[in-house]
Amino acid sequence: MAGAQNPLRQSLQFRLSAWVSALLLGVAVVAGAFSFITAFEEANELQDDTLRQIAALIDRNHLPVTTASEQLPEFASDSDVQVVVQMLPNVREQTPRSSATPLRLPAELPDGLQTVMVEDESWRLFVTTLAADRRFVVGQQTAVRDETARDGALRTLMPFVILIPILLVVLRDVIRRMLKPMRDLATELDGRSDQDLGALGATGLPTEVRPFVVAINRMLMRVEQSVSQQRRFLADAAHELRSPLTALSLQAERLAGTLMSDAAGERLAALRQGIRRARLLLDQLLTLARVQDAPSAAATPVSVLGVFRQVIEELHPQATAKSIDIGVTSEEDVSIALTEFDLQTLVRNLVDNAIKYTPVRGRVDLAVGVDVGVSVREVVVQVSDSGPGIAPEARARVFEPFHRLLGNDEIGSGLGLSIVKAIADRCGATVALDYTDVARSTGLRVTLTFSRPVELDST
Amino acid sequence: MRVLLVEDDRMIGEAVEAALVDAAYAPDWVRDGQSAIEAVAAQTYDIVLLDLGLPKTDGIQVLRTIRGRNNAVPVLIITARDAVESRIQGLDLGADDYVLKPFEMAELLARMRAVARRKGGVAGPLLCNEVLSLDVCARTVALDGQEIHLSAREFALLHALMIRPGAILSRGELEDRMYGWGSEVESNAVEFIIHALRKKLGNDAIKNVRGVGWLVPKTR
Repeated sequence: MAGAQNPLRQSLQFRLSAWVSALLLGVAVVAGAFSFITAFEEANELQDDTLRQIAALIDRNHLPVTTASEQLPEFASDSDVQVVVQMLPNVREQTPRSSATPLRLPAELPDGLQTVMVEDESWRLFVTTLAADRRFVVGQQTAVRDETARDGALRTLMPFVILIPILLVVLRDVIRRMLKPMRDLATELDGRSDQDLGALGATGLPTEVRPFVVAINRMLMRVEQSVSQQRRFLADAAHELRSPLTALSLQAERLAGTLMSDAAGERLAALRQGIRRARLLLDQLLTLARVQDAPSAAATPVSVLGVFRQVIEELHPQATAKSIDIGVTSEEDVSIALTEFDLQTLVRNLVDNAIKYTPVRGRVDLAVGVDVGVSVREVVVQVSDSGPGIAPEARARVFEPFHRLLGNDEIGSGLGLSIVKAIADRCGATVALDYTDVARSTGLRVTLTFSRPVELDST
Repeated sequence: MRVLLVEDDRMIGEAVEAALVDAAYAPDWVRDGQSAIEAVAAQTYDIVLLDLGLPKTDGIQVLRTIRGRNNAVPVLIITARDAVESRIQGLDLGADDYVLKPFEMAELLARMRAVARRKGGVAGPLLCNEVLSLDVCARTVALDGQEIHLSAREFALLHALMIRPGAILSRGELEDRMYGWGSEVESNAVEFIIHALRKKLGNDAIKNVRGVGWLVPKTR
């Protein structure tokens, strides 16, 4: 993909900056060249005029011009504007050229301005004829003239040279600033939770971007509809499965009451175990469907120790059956702003897993505490067991629905941790997995961190 | 006992009806809300088992009609609707209890007995789990049918735990139940009494939950 190869090329900001800068530079070059050439020519014309004026001055004031022309001191003083004034040899007299004359000029030069090569140097000459058929020439070296003209012309370029870089920097900044709302929008979209499919705000956005936002909002709406449709379907399907499963379980139960052989009884027991599994799975599916939706009840401060107690009461028979020592290790109670259903479901699923995966005579610990950070106060809820734990590389995948760890023959729905994750996501909590005993790499410790503002129990 | 079973699902209806007959009830089975209302009007039942999702007239509507006619027949709701609101709505409308599908017949029968007992006003002063039974009036305790003598404090503590077997009570809550206001609470009193109770009733009679409190198990 071209975009992946060169993301700069895809950037509107980059392209806009590049194009405007290129255009600006182009215009600057053309305008600069034009201004340079004009100034150069004008300077040359001015210098031609100067030659003409000098000639007129000499003519009018009958200044002595020797054939052995000396350089006029007032002109010669400026090394930049070296002007030579000298008599031209008379065509008829054929006077031999004096060796003192600075320029060896042919006698047959016509009157007026001309550029002549003299001794490999280019000269600009103005030839004029005096009354007595004497002719003299006012001349200047072309190289000197060009240099003067170039200096003048270059000075006209100065504003461009100074202004263009400033303009480019300002331009870049202006474009950046104009594209900021789009970046903000992207950041907002990026930072959203999976459940948040609400419309994007269009205030403060440029008119050109608004259609996109409207289109995105429309799409978000459609996505939300289809997501809620799917969730409803999941809930409805699980729900509809209840009646046949009830019938099945009742019939199996009746069957158990009849006289049958031992072998049949064993098979019936297996059948009823299967029905119980299906029932458990169904319940978990419904719970998952429910927790994936937005919470139905408002969050109120819920006592964590109270929930611990309820969950332990509920699961105590299972723990007793495996002689698992279950208990709470923290003493202070903490309240979390959450719906009671959510917190109960979280803790129940974690403790249920812990009891399932902890061997007989193991240990399950529940704890709650407050982490007072620099800026936030976090409530930490921990469930630790003395089971085999989960290897670090396997931890990410255990939150996926129906994911099961290899070598584990516990009968579970495979949804417990998915439910935990869904609730955690929905209420802005994080779930971290670790070993209970890090040194020996055993035991699973699940840490839920609630960063939401909470109320500490007053007692 | 005459039971009205209101259930539209044929398989469930048949199974429940048969199980009720097995359990020595006399069930009448109707399959829609309208028939249920008519049956309740025509006949006196000891208990009504009411499914909520019914054709013609919804279960909630049936319940409303029955209670609207000042009929106090015990109603036990059987529902596949797990939404907390619909359960609460059912209880608010005068249902006596609810059972969530899928259920086991043993559970349904236990609930039926409990509802009938409550309605009969004989919610006896007998608190039981599968091991212990505690007679509140006679202030006696029986372990597997054999009477055990307990001191007043021991009885008070066990009484507190036996009100709801399976529920955990903290030390503070147990102290509250055992001592009057203002009376001195000796430290370790709770542990001391529980130790004594375990000696008399067996180690598993009262279970400790680390960091939370004590409970008597519901089952053996």
